[in-house]
Amino acid sequence: MPPFTQTDTTLYRKDVASGGRSLTAAEREKLLQPYLPAPQSDSTAMDSRWSATGPQKKYRGHRRRVRPLLKAKLHFLVFFLIQLVFGIYIRLRQIYNATFDRLLAIRHYHHRSPELIQRDVQNLERIPEHLSVILKFKSKEDGGLEALMDEVAELCAWSAAAEIPLLSVYEKSGILKSYIPSLKELVEQKLASYFGPPPTTPVLRVFAPNHPSMAPSPSPSPQIAVQTGNGHTHPSTATKRQPLDLLLLSAADGRDTLVDLTRTLAEMSQAQKLSPKHITSKLIDTEISATTSILGLRATGGHSTRPLDRLSDKGPDLAEPDLVIVFGPYVKLDGYPPWQVRLSEIFCVGDSGGDVSGSGSTRVEYQAFLRGLWKYAGAEMKFGR
Amino acid sequence: MSSRHISHLRKWLWSSPPAEWVLSQLRELLIGALRQGPVPKHVAFVMDGNRRFAKKNRIETVEGHNLGFEALAKILEVCYKSGVTHVTIYAFSIENFKRSKYEVDALMDMAKIKLRQLVEHGDLLDRYGARIRILGQRELIKPDVLEVVDQAVKMTSGNGNCVLNVCFPYTSREEITSAIRDTVDEFSRPIPRDVADKERTRPFKEERIAHTIRSHQFSQHTSTDSDSTFLHAPELHSPSSSTTSLSSYSQDASEQDLSSMSTSTTLQPDGYSDTTTSPSEPTSTSSGEKQLPHHKNQTSPTPASKASREHGQVKNPSPNSTYPSPELITPDTLSSHMYNAGDPPVDLLVRTSGVSRLSDFLLWQCHQDTQIVFLDVLWPDFDLWSFLPVLWEWQWRTRKAEKSEHD
Repeated sequence: MPPFTQTDTTLYRKDVASGGRSLTAAEREKLLQPYLPAPQSDSTAMDSRWSATGPQKKYRGHRRRVRPLLKAKLHFLVFFLIQLVFGIYIRLRQIYNATFDRLLAIRHYHHRSPELIQRDVQNLERIPEHLSVILKFKSKEDGGLEALMDEVAELCAWSAAAEIPLLSVYEKSGILKSYIPSLKELVEQKLASYFGPPPTTPVLRVFAPNHPSMAPSPSPSPQIAVQTGNGHTHPSTATKRQPLDLLLLSAADGRDTLVDLTRTLAEMSQAQKLSPKHITSKLIDTEISATTSILGLRATGGHSTRPLDRLSDKGPDLAEPDLVIVFGPYVKLDGYPPWQVRLSEIFCVGDSGGDVSGSGSTRVEYQAFLRGLWKYAGAEMKFGR
Repeated sequence: MSSRHISHLRKWLWSSPPAEWVLSQLRELLIGALRQGPVPKHVAFVMDGNRRFAKKNRIETVEGHNLGFEALAKILEVCYKSGVTHVTIYAFSIENFKRSKYEVDALMDMAKIKLRQLVEHGDLLDRYGARIRILGQRELIKPDVLEVVDQAVKMTSGNGNCVLNVCFPYTSREEITSAIRDTVDEFSRPIPRDVADKERTRPFKEERIAHTIRSHQFSQHTSTDSDSTFLHAPELHSPSSSTTSLSSYSQDASEQDLSSMSTSTTLQPDGYSDTTTSPSEPTSTSSGEKQLPHHKNQTSPTPASKASREHGQVKNPSPNSTYPSPELITPDTLSSHMYNAGDPPVDLLVRTSGVSRLSDFLLWQCHQDTQIVFLDVLWPDFDLWSFLPVLWEWQWRTRKAEKSEHD
């Protein structure tokens, strides 16, 4: 019976302190004895009791049969009550979160102005270099693909304003990858609505691994255009409006990519081109970042074949996201590329009503994006929580 | 002053026999109630916060780890009692070797002592049927510790019901790497000759099929479509090469059936490059294929396209190659080479001490449907009362999900 008595605990700790020498095995066993639960067989019998209730009752002594039955009934009752109360608790928490989010959204709203967003993040100690978001495909009533693309566009605009150079969007099915041109157009429109007419908007580049991605459009000397365009409209940010890279990820960039790599390696090994000994995590890391990270894709520029030479001189930092924002009620990675999330900070937007099972989607809102950045910077959130 | 009195009083009250009895009854009741609902089969813990706990309470770091061990024991009891069968704990990361030598040694000693004590209680272990496994890079464990580890693992290996996976020098990247390495190793072992021959005796003859197709093609050849001549221009006229391209095609198709959806995504880029690439590039794919044998060690843009291209190149010249086809490798193949292969999927991952990172723990196992929970308590403070809400929430969500599935 678990809450260990004071004397036993002190005895145990004395034994530990002496490096396990003060008590013999037998003594330890004796110390343990009163806390040991009944052996497994007993408890499984109690389990099966629930399914096989009545019929054999007459044949055996009935006291022993009734009590576990009552106990099981009691347990079920308690379980039911707990679930009920917990359900109410979760609903209350949702209401609380929703209210909080609304208040936060009133306090911090972007009004499509990069300056306001900039002001919201300027005091943060650090900003992620690579922000990743996990989005879910919307059901028809939530607006379907258009809503999803609009969310991506909004996120792009916020990231650009917060000066996050790389945003990667994970959506499990990879449907975004098949609409790259229209997505790009939409994002550019959105950026223009935030930053003003084209010359002042940050240059957008879209990448998608495992997909014949759109080659980065040869934009006419973006850097100069930005500077001249910015001169009079946005003096504060004129000099450093950096380009924004958008990386589209899907479940195929996770396990399947690792499987593909294994296949390739197996083939090479079968052809005696490499020995399994040569496979190290470094090799895999290089391969993975050459194929699914922005650097690799940037270096290869779509689908030409000259990868590694340019990759090596830059650090692999951008391959791993610094911050992953999960737009869902609880943390579930949903097939996000496993190799890359190793050290990423994970932030979950949380429950704020509506869907609870996590199968649907949470709306992408600016305040949630902001909360993620605050959490990442280790900043205290405004008005508590 | 008075608050200290009150805390003393409270402590005394809680440790008085009736309070203890009530508490234990309550625990039993709650754990029993847990069993009535769905229970995660496999729970993973990142035991984070021992050092911070020690610092906060001004005790030795090693003491913090000892208290952490006590917390672990209590939590394990809760887990197994409530019906969790597999528990995986992150005991020691490869990165942890970078800590002070004193602390690493103390941790190693602790592991050694605990495991040795465990071995002494063999009959108890048998009675409760827990099995201990050590996941990680054994070669990094010092020999004296390794000896005890092996002993404990061996002693408990026969036990059935419950499993405790101790990740001890472990990082997930190394795990994935070793899984890939083992898979490659397995697939580069030739199939024994006689087995391969037996498998290959099919009643159909490739020559006959090719001949049929060729004669069929010949009859249609007068009305060629420009597309096929464009793509296979050099091959169409020489019968031998056309058979190889045909056979490679049929092989691809059959493999697409064999391995699941992942193969279809594999083949997709190649399909794209054949059909929908920009008009500037229709020849570059075929020329790339021809060049490939010279610099295969370089990487092409995606491993997928590389794999399927090389597939066509390497395998077909020797149709009686006795290696298993690499296309048979699926995510499940890799899963079965992970350290904890065969365990049920991880349902719940709990990380304490407010850090919201996976820190290289169970990346492969936890990146899909696992519910990940980050808690603010430090690990030595982690007990039933902080674990119960997590379990309740898990149950609640699982039940919700089940219900919505039924609808």
